[in-house]
Amino acid sequence: MNAIEINHLRRIFRAQIGVFNRSIKEVFAVDDISFEVQQGELFGLLGPNGAGKTTTVKMLTTLLIPSLGSARVGGFDVVKQANEVRKRIGFIFGGERGLYWRLSGDDNLRYFASLYGVDPEVSKKRIPYLMEMVGLKGRGNERVGGYSRGMKQRLHVARTLLHDPDILFLDEPTIGLDPVGAREFRNVILDLQSQKKTILLTTHYMFEADALSDRIAIINKGSVIALDTPSGLKKHVSDLSVVEVETFGASEIVIEKLRALPFVDALSVEDRDQKQMILIQTERGAEAVPDVISALEGQRVGRVIVREPTLEDAYVRLVGGGA
Amino acid sequence: MRTIRKNFRLFWQGTLLSYRALFAWLRPVTYMASKIFMPLAQMFFFVFLGTYASGKDTSDFYVIGNAIQITSISGIFGVTMSVGGDRDAGTLPYLFGTPANRFMIFFGRAFMHVIDGAIGVVIALTWGVLLMGLDLSHTDLPALGLTILITTFSTCGLGLLMGCLSLLTANVMFVNNFVYFSLLIFSGANVQISTLPVWMQIVSSILPLTRGIAASRALAAGASLTDISVLLISEIGIGLTYGFLGYFLFSWFEIQAKRKGTLETV
Repeated sequence: MNAIEINHLRRIFRAQIGVFNRSIKEVFAVDDISFEVQQGELFGLLGPNGAGKTTTVKMLTTLLIPSLGSARVGGFDVVKQANEVRKRIGFIFGGERGLYWRLSGDDNLRYFASLYGVDPEVSKKRIPYLMEMVGLKGRGNERVGGYSRGMKQRLHVARTLLHDPDILFLDEPTIGLDPVGAREFRNVILDLQSQKKTILLTTHYMFEADALSDRIAIINKGSVIALDTPSGLKKHVSDLSVVEVETFGASEIVIEKLRALPFVDALSVEDRDQKQMILIQTERGAEAVPDVISALEGQRVGRVIVREPTLEDAYVRLVGGGA
Repeated sequence: MRTIRKNFRLFWQGTLLSYRALFAWLRPVTYMASKIFMPLAQMFFFVFLGTYASGKDTSDFYVIGNAIQITSISGIFGVTMSVGGDRDAGTLPYLFGTPANRFMIFFGRAFMHVIDGAIGVVIALTWGVLLMGLDLSHTDLPALGLTILITTFSTCGLGLLMGCLSLLTANVMFVNNFVYFSLLIFSGANVQISTLPVWMQIVSSILPLTRGIAASRALAAGASLTDISVLLISEIGIGLTYGFLGYFLFSWFEIQAKRKGTLETV
């Protein structure tokens, strides 16, 4: 049986525009998506901001009613059998909020255990176990308001596991964490994966999705544009190489000049403090470098590297970093 | 039986933990100010103003009226903070994502404020006895205690309704202040209700506190519990009506928020 089944799911938001001449604008946040997640699978959902990832997660966690289509989680319909779904799932939305900051970590867990109807005898043993599992052993008596962001995120994981759910929804759980905190968090996810939990993970971090996911769906403008294993997705760009060029203060005109080169398949720019990293996907590989350098004539150029494409490059190509 | 036990546990845990988690006056200094000094200031103001304006020794009227009305600090402001606090804490999605009984969650938010409000009234009455000459020597004190609890309960019912408004709008404190100050008049705390215009008397009759204040004054004047039983039963009825209205609004809010996607946007 599939843990999650989504059939032609749509979510339309209606926004009122104007004060006197009012009109209704319809936004398709999720537009006809369908996929299944198998039991015990770690399924990644990738996409740019506003692609519809969080809206999808909200519908699957019964927090938002779909406009059209259907979804089943743990074998239950998310609208008609919402309470049955809630008993079987745990979820985290990224960020620090969603905990009672005036309460201690243990008291937060105690309260949520009662909300999930966990037997007190069970929660008495489970709370210290979970606090240890997420690396908060010995900190349970402290007020959550004094926790670091990473500690709060980890307390969220403990909260979501209180009732031992089979299916977990982690919506950008590592957002805002420092590298060490994010790595520790990923270890927690791997630990959950080893416990055969079904996990739907949304993230912006490609290496995270690459390292953790069994399969990945890329969602853009409300629709699934690709669904495959990480290695399968990378095949989308197997014919390409990536030329990374470090520049200092390259203007938009220069970037557009590069984009217009006939051999450039896709181009993206990452700002890194004073410098920019221009990533060019091209079939020509190292042969493209002289033409790229000549297009950058007059610019201060640093390192130039030609490398194999990664999942991020596949993602850029799929969501439209195209030339 | 298991479900009843589970719901009772949810109510009790929710009562204690949500009170600590969401009630913003828990810092000792502000709590003391709201429980000890604010009632004193309010009572001084109305007792001296009232006795000066009426020219008679009517201080008991104002002392009892304001001491009982003090319960609306907990009943309205406290309960509103407890219900609406989930929106500020960002815990609403996590709360509505659980299978927990919403009725127990909702009414659990008010329970501690009934106790808290009753303590506030006792403190205010103590000020009245110590500083303003309130004479309770002929009063049936257990009956007065019961009246205080019932009045606090009914005021919390109104607070639950106001708390639900705080899920719909960020400006509920403005409405709360309006209700609090309106109760100073409409509840009969500082004005004989019979002297009010008819429309105000009608409003007065559908508010909590009105009957509780009348019952407390009657007890102070030597009435028995039997004499005021009708007032108390009506007060309970009004509290339940507001509480259930609040609960239905709470349920409606959850459904609407899930339909419109506004769970975190207010």
